[in-house]
Amino acid sequence: MTESATTESSKTDEVGEADVPARPTARPTARRSTPWIAATVGVVLLLFIGVLATRKPSDQKGISSPLVGKAVPPLAGTTIDGKPFNIDDYRGRYVVVNFFATWCVPCIQEHPELVAFQEQHAATGDAVVVSVAFNDTEENIRAFFATNGGNWPVIGGDTGPTILDFGVVKVPESYVVSPSRQVVAKFTGVTTAGLNEVMADINKQISGPR
Amino acid sequence: MNSALGVAGIVLGLLGSICGIVVLAIGLRRGNAALIRSGRSYAWLVLGGAVLCAVAMQRALLTDDFTVSFVHDHSATTTPGVFKFATMWAALEGSILLWTLVLASYTAIVGWRERTRTDDPLVGWALLVMLVVCAFFFLLLAGPANPFGTVAIPEGYDGPGPNPLLQNHILMAFHPPVLYLGYVGFTVPFAYAIGALITGRVGEGWLAGTRRWTLFSWACLTAGIIMGAWWSYEVLGWGGYWAWDPVENASFLPWLTGTAYIHSVMVQERRGMLRVWNLSLLCATFSLTILGTFLTRSGVIESVHAFSESGIGPMILGFFTLIVVVSVGLIGWRGDRLRAPGRIDSPLSREGAFLANNILFGAFAFVVLLGTVFPLIVEASNGERISVGVPYFNRMSTPIGLTLLFLMAVAPVLPWRKASGELLRHRLLVPAWVGAGALAIAVLLGATGLSALLAFLLGGFAAGAAGRQLVLATRRQGWRGLVGRANGGMIVHIGVILIAVAIAASTAYGRQTEMKLAPGQSAEFAGHTFVYRGTEQRLLSNRDVVEATIEIDGSTYAPALSRFRFGSTIIGTPSVASTPRQDVAVTLLELPATADGVVSIRVFVQPLIMWLWIGGGIMVFGTAMAIVPGRRRNPLAAVSAPIEVAGHDEIEVAVDDDPAPSGVPAEV
Repeated sequence: MTESATTESSKTDEVGEADVPARPTARPTARRSTPWIAATVGVVLLLFIGVLATRKPSDQKGISSPLVGKAVPPLAGTTIDGKPFNIDDYRGRYVVVNFFATWCVPCIQEHPELVAFQEQHAATGDAVVVSVAFNDTEENIRAFFATNGGNWPVIGGDTGPTILDFGVVKVPESYVVSPSRQVVAKFTGVTTAGLNEVMADINKQISGPR
Repeated sequence: MNSALGVAGIVLGLLGSICGIVVLAIGLRRGNAALIRSGRSYAWLVLGGAVLCAVAMQRALLTDDFTVSFVHDHSATTTPGVFKFATMWAALEGSILLWTLVLASYTAIVGWRERTRTDDPLVGWALLVMLVVCAFFFLLLAGPANPFGTVAIPEGYDGPGPNPLLQNHILMAFHPPVLYLGYVGFTVPFAYAIGALITGRVGEGWLAGTRRWTLFSWACLTAGIIMGAWWSYEVLGWGGYWAWDPVENASFLPWLTGTAYIHSVMVQERRGMLRVWNLSLLCATFSLTILGTFLTRSGVIESVHAFSESGIGPMILGFFTLIVVVSVGLIGWRGDRLRAPGRIDSPLSREGAFLANNILFGAFAFVVLLGTVFPLIVEASNGERISVGVPYFNRMSTPIGLTLLFLMAVAPVLPWRKASGELLRHRLLVPAWVGAGALAIAVLLGATGLSALLAFLLGGFAAGAAGRQLVLATRRQGWRGLVGRANGGMIVHIGVILIAVAIAASTAYGRQTEMKLAPGQSAEFAGHTFVYRGTEQRLLSNRDVVEATIEIDGSTYAPALSRFRFGSTIIGTPSVASTPRQDVAVTLLELPATADGVVSIRVFVQPLIMWLWIGGGIMVFGTAMAIVPGRRRNPLAAVSAPIEVAGHDEIEVAVDDDPAPSGVPAEV
């Protein structure tokens, strides 16, 4: 903030000093001011560029949520295949809880990322994906997965209480649950890279120096 | 085939720009007039390349050539023809292509218009700068934003189609091209500014040459922004037209600095002052278009528009760095030479008002830029995640907007150099009455709320000042009183005032509700009666539409939900009952489960919305009037002269607009 603030104010100063030199006697010093102002503006802008250059794309960063750092809310139900699902059964593995709806465009756009993530971790089994449908029919959900791929438990039906527990604002939202059952990140629109990075960070914390 | 054509176009454009840059650079360095002259022919090569790309892309889109990656990813056989055409700018790669096409056209036009003075180093440098920008965009097309990749397609593939939101309204065919005409247009004055800085030509000749470019670009940018707001209002169905989304801000930022420039440049033309500042504003405007593209396309900022498009980020940021270094370096190097001998005599003068205008627009741009990038800066300093919401922008922009309205009222009646209190009292009398009248009418109609009332008062005041100027001018010159920069500018002001009043009214007095209605059931809201009659299904080529028939005060409206073929996406289409007094917009929230079930709708009642679009039209019309050649004014001596005696009201105005008595030729 301070950086951009200086940018603008120094520009404004430039007008003031450049064109309203108060007294002719003050002019010789004012005449030399432009290079200094330009240098200041330049440095500030380069700092700003530095900030921009070091930012990761937002889809690789989690979003802040009151849930992050807390224990995962209860998540249990019946999948659309008719099997029971309970997140407690997945202790010791990462679980990506994905809230989606078949009618939501960003959900369709992010779906291949989830598919890729699941495929990467299918062999090692260190992470699983579970989807919770938002306000949808089983028929639509089946069609969605047939079109867009992916093969993991999907909880349909009345998911209202779960959505409230997680505090989902709008779909898509995804929560990463650590092996110790803690919510460690929230995404709106996930990427495979973003999910893997969260896992790597948490793994480092677990295995790192205590 | 189409892929090959497209790639050929990219290569042609890239080679053309690079050769042009090399030839011009050598020519300028050696002072070789023949080389500089030949530089402009490369602009035609560049244009040829861009046109080839665009034709190949359109051909691929219209003939459903899914072997072209862009068509494969973003078009569908079922997309209606006009939206296939518009699909070109429905995604990143295609918008870069559109940008390149517009830029190449501008470059060619500059080369053509300057054909009589192409050995002029300033023009040579300007063309060189434009070719550098062209080369950059062709590089984007050749690398990270290549729309002409080839893909193998499975049997029977018919494509996903563009984002449903983008094939839902005809404005989508116009909004992006018009916006880009404006965005890209600012490259031209920027190129001349760099040329002027490098050659050190302190004269104002290049300004007159770029004046129409600037106004044309500004008009297109204005129209593009208004169309974007209109599209958002008609399609998104949340009842609003502006959400301070980073993408909206990205178009608004160059508009703000561009607006500051077209005001302050008049001070330079009349008094020879503010040269450094004007050059800085042009550089800032162009850099902001590039920065905006970076922010919205690299994915560093969360926005509905920025989704996983991170490939081109580093290149755009690198280009932005280059622009910043070159502009700031040149201004720092040349700045002191450009200093004007004159100074502002009194803050209570036309030039003083322009300066205040510039400070306000600068502050406005800063506030918007800060709000847009603040989350990034906070994150960089302490790793925290925050977001800047609409309340911040509204709170900051309201006082700035109101002050600008006030300035709009006072500035047009101020004479150059210095005004006396008596003169001001005389000239502001009528505008003040108009303002008071507007306030009285608003209060009589039941308006409340400080900022809205202030907006009506100051809007009336400013409209009075603009109207006074126009009446005086037309009384003196007939229809020509609407032409020329000062008078065209006043027409633009009236458009701005309409928009300001519409924004104030719709924000302060907009109301919304949700209702559930069974067939035949009616409900009342904000003095309107809503009756639900039933739903009707229509099957179109690319989607199924379910329309609910809603009668509002006896007339039938049909908000709809559309289910697009791909991915069973459902998009709402609001239906708007628009009158000059107020808009009633109805969005369908939920369809009835059974034929005689209950439908759920959301209703927005907002006053004066229509005046936003009318105001936008008037702004564009006014700019067109300003572009029509007026008469060259009698420039005042740059050095301060004795102050004119007050009380010469009509004479002073006459000097403003009458042809120069000395027979100076009409403005070029």
